Amino acid sequence: MSTEHEEHARVGCTVDADGRIVFGLAAGPAEGRRLLLRLRPKKEQPEKAEVLHSLALEPDEEGGLSAVLGPEPVLAEGRWDVYLLREPGAERERLRPGLLDLRALVDGHLRDRRSSPAVRIPYVTRDGHLAVRAWLRTAHAEAGGIDVTERSTTVAARLHGATLLEGAVVLLRLRGGQGTALTLKPRPEGDGRGFSFTVGHEELAAASGPGRSVWNVCVRPAARTPLVRVARLLDDVADRKEVFVYPQVTVGGAVLRPYYTADNGLSVEVAKAG
Amino acid sequence: MITDLNRRVVAVVYVLMKISFLLHNAYGIGGTITTTFNLAQALAERHEVEIVSVLRHRGRPNLTLDPRVSLRPLVDLRRDKEHPSHLRPARVFPRAEYRYEQYSELTDERIGECLATTDADVVIGTRPGLNVHLALQAPRHVVRVGQEHLTLDNHPPRLRTALRRAYRRLDVLTTVTEADAAAYRRKMRLPGVRVAALPNSVPDPVLPASDGTAKVVVAAGRLVPVKRYDLLIEAFAVVAAEHPDWQLRIYGKGEEHDRLRALIAELRLWNNVFLMGPAAPMEAEWVKGSIGAAASNFEPFGMTIVEAMRCGLPVVSTDCPYGPGEIIEDGVDGRLVPVGDREALGAALLEVVRDDELRRRMGRAALENARRFAPEPVVGQAERLFTEAVSARRAGRPVAPERARVGRVLISQGFAARDAAFGAAGSALRIVRRQQG
Repeated sequence: MSTEHEEHARVGCTVDADGRIVFGLAAGPAEGRRLLLRLRPKKEQPEKAEVLHSLALEPDEEGGLSAVLGPEPVLAEGRWDVYLLREPGAERERLRPGLLDLRALVDGHLRDRRSSPAVRIPYVTRDGHLAVRAWLRTAHAEAGGIDVTERSTTVAARLHGATLLEGAVVLLRLRGGQGTALTLKPRPEGDGRGFSFTVGHEELAAASGPGRSVWNVCVRPAARTPLVRVARLLDDVADRKEVFVYPQVTVGGAVLRPYYTADNGLSVEVAKAG
Repeated sequence: MITDLNRRVVAVVYVLMKISFLLHNAYGIGGTITTTFNLAQALAERHEVEIVSVLRHRGRPNLTLDPRVSLRPLVDLRRDKEHPSHLRPARVFPRAEYRYEQYSELTDERIGECLATTDADVVIGTRPGLNVHLALQAPRHVVRVGQEHLTLDNHPPRLRTALRRAYRRLDVLTTVTEADAAAYRRKMRLPGVRVAALPNSVPDPVLPASDGTAKVVVAAGRLVPVKRYDLLIEAFAVVAAEHPDWQLRIYGKGEEHDRLRALIAELRLWNNVFLMGPAAPMEAEWVKGSIGAAASNFEPFGMTIVEAMRCGLPVVSTDCPYGPGEIIEDGVDGRLVPVGDREALGAALLEVVRDDELRRRMGRAALENARRFAPEPVVGQAERLFTEAVSARRAGRPVAPERARVGRVLISQGFAARDAAFGAAGSALRIVRRQQG
């Protein structure tokens, strides 16, 4: 009997600490079936040549089918939708999520990554399908605890793929501000990876114009090295914005609030009357 | 005494039955729907099973239903919403029932018709109002089983009065806890009705159990006042102070969200306590934690406690009426603390956070002890209950022997009088209000 909507296949997955993902489908013929990962084109950008990775589905011990995404290929940064190809040339089908076993990611911030941190977090899209968020950085600064007081916000962070050296600075860069930035001095923690910094609320409010300003937090680990974005990527939470929420503080006429962006980057929002 | 041996013998004499569940709305979301689907699907292994859904508002149920269980709606709101009879109030469905506004003359008629023509051996009502329909309208040859997923003490007095009259005509009444079953036996005079506890079941987890190492405490449920997430957050403050690397993750949505968010800010716990939003299924979230937590003032059963334990988490919970105390063995597979006691809740959490060995031992015990809530043993209990009732009915015996003693009668009459007085006072108050308005 036909149903109102074609029932989508469900795919579960297990992620290990190195980001290797094993996708699992309920039983079905393996022959010719593949999983397809497709990088979602960014909004308002023309769909370029598609970025695709195709994975073979093999019968597994539990009587289902599984496909393995190892450390290679490295996924470009963005959101990757997962599709099923039932046979070569068939139309690709979105997949409903099964159980996503991400427990190995929960304490991911405790493991140091040497170079080019690559992060993958499977998640469920707003319309209920399975996708994988990927971040690919040459270096990364993982934000940890954030202490917000009336006067200032202090952030603890840890570098991955870079070391804090002489001349290191933390920069708060005004979004759309043509290079406008507030420079702070980081406090290193000894091993050259951990550091913290404090943003004075009054100073940031004074540097902000009227209306809404967003300051993206970055660190330059040593003089003349590329900027590293301060973000929180190393756990199981794919969308942090509504979960990791910090209080807002009023200074003079300005309301400040540290927050995580849609890409889990750390920013400070300043809303100023006038 | 029932030994393992004769229990096995009893298990062999199941008779083939046709079983019909009467459900409010199989197309919605909720604990009763989940547990009814679970039970129906498990019974379908050996019996013919259907679910009759009084209401329907969408094409397909949210939960996928085993194709062996047939699903039949009575009133399709997409079509019958403006049906003249649906605009007139219900007369069979009791006025004091929580869902009264959703019922109508049309539901009265359709349920009545459905019951009058049923060819089932057993019909199971899944909420008070439907149990009343069953009691009043099911033909004599049908075994009438009423299920209570809420509790007697929390029903309003007027509803208790209505149920007291109707429930005498049931054959079996199941509650989800022993404590609630005891309340029905003590406070309602139900001669000839077999009152038994039948816990909700939780399906076997698919993922490997938690290994107890993650520094995460997990809680889940609707964010409503009775769940006391405020108390849990306050209690967690002592854990965060001593162990800043531990998190509390609260899953669910509801009216308390913003208030809880403000409390987290006020207590400066934003680095440790997270409102995660809703998650379904919860299984993948439980296994990320190593302790489950519940702070409710009231919990008819405590489904999330069982879910957490089945994933290998010891659960720290308030010992509220009724469920937690029948699920958790204090000090063995979790901790029970007095209701509303922030210090005790914090201390119990801290005890399990501090001691890795204790936590893992309790987790293993939780996994083992929660097996009694697996579908198989629970369905076995249900099947035995229904089989015995059907066999008794077929042999012309009463389903439950008359057990009422004088003392019990007096007690139940006392409760009945009090409910009647409350009920009368309630209507008097309404009349006064109406006059004032």
